[in-house]
Amino acid sequence: MVVDEFDPHALAEQDFLDEVHSFQFWFDSVEGYLSDRPYGRLETTVDEEMDDNRRERLITTLCNYSVGETAALEGAAGLVQLAPDRNSKIFMATQVADEARHLEVFLHRIRELGVADPEAEIARRAQPALVDFKGTLLELISQGDWQAGVFAQNVILETMEYTVFRLHAATADAVTKDVLAGVISDERRHAGFGENDLGRSLAIDPSGRGRLREIRADLDPMVLGVFEAALTDVGAPAEGHAQLAGEYLDTVERLGLT
Amino acid sequence: MAGAEAGELNVPAPEIGADSSRRRYELEETGFREVPKKWRKFYRHWGGPLDVLAPNEVVCPVCKVVIRSTRELRPGDKVYCMPCMSRMVVVRRDDGRLEADVIF
Repeated sequence: MVVDEFDPHALAEQDFLDEVHSFQFWFDSVEGYLSDRPYGRLETTVDEEMDDNRRERLITTLCNYSVGETAALEGAAGLVQLAPDRNSKIFMATQVADEARHLEVFLHRIRELGVADPEAEIARRAQPALVDFKGTLLELISQGDWQAGVFAQNVILETMEYTVFRLHAATADAVTKDVLAGVISDERRHAGFGENDLGRSLAIDPSGRGRLREIRADLDPMVLGVFEAALTDVGAPAEGHAQLAGEYLDTVERLGLT
Repeated sequence: MAGAEAGELNVPAPEIGADSSRRRYELEETGFREVPKKWRKFYRHWGGPLDVLAPNEVVCPVCKVVIRSTRELRPGDKVYCMPCMSRMVVVRRDDGRLEADVIF
């Protein structure tokens, strides 16, 4: 019987986990979709004409994305130290690199849109709720709480970002669409890591669910409101709001956190 | 739907590729580049609800990528989504469709 030499579904569970958490897996993955895209954009993609109103709304959206990416960058860096095992530690280190790249490409895109000082513009346009979320996330991590940190960052923030970036990409100008495409590919790993890491730990010890539900009640509204506003700003269809809430709820339901 | 916990399921060993009673599929890359080259043909982008899945395909409920196998899939098969690191088991819904439930 001929069996494919490289069949992922034939891997033993631990071999699968070792493979997908490895630095080598990350490196060979991002090489596939980022190597020909300086600052996330294909060199052949041409910037579209954009009226002032659309440009302003896009800048505001990208400024808030940058706040989220900064939160995730600092959060992931803190979580490296808290990671309970080698695979999680290595994966979280790759996420630090991803988040740094996301921040860099969004800042670069903001500059391309005519903003001379993106850092100042982010401070001016950032939604207070998202800034509060960042503070709460970093506080959870500074308390040494791996499970809460992963939940806040990789489930709440990353799951919502994953949906919002996909919806935004569907209506975005060509260059922003390029930039978002690479970020979306990265977010797939981040959101998946969060759900699966928490799912495994809650399967062993379900007692943490009550505490995570409380964290969820505090943090959900901070992030959801910001991303709903972003969907409106980028002209996502009305169904996009339902998709954002629905995909997030599917995740917390699979984790037993509803 | 709540994620399935490993202890609750009788998941068979991953012998899908070696089961000669199942129809075999020759997989080719379809442009999905989010995993290392040697794994790429086992995944493809999902085209949304109108995307008709082949008997060797299921959609990952976590990240919405289509997972592909070299053999037709059957309920109880264990498959992996490498792009989002999820393990799952194939299930048949009431309407006859094959879907995947996450295993933690």
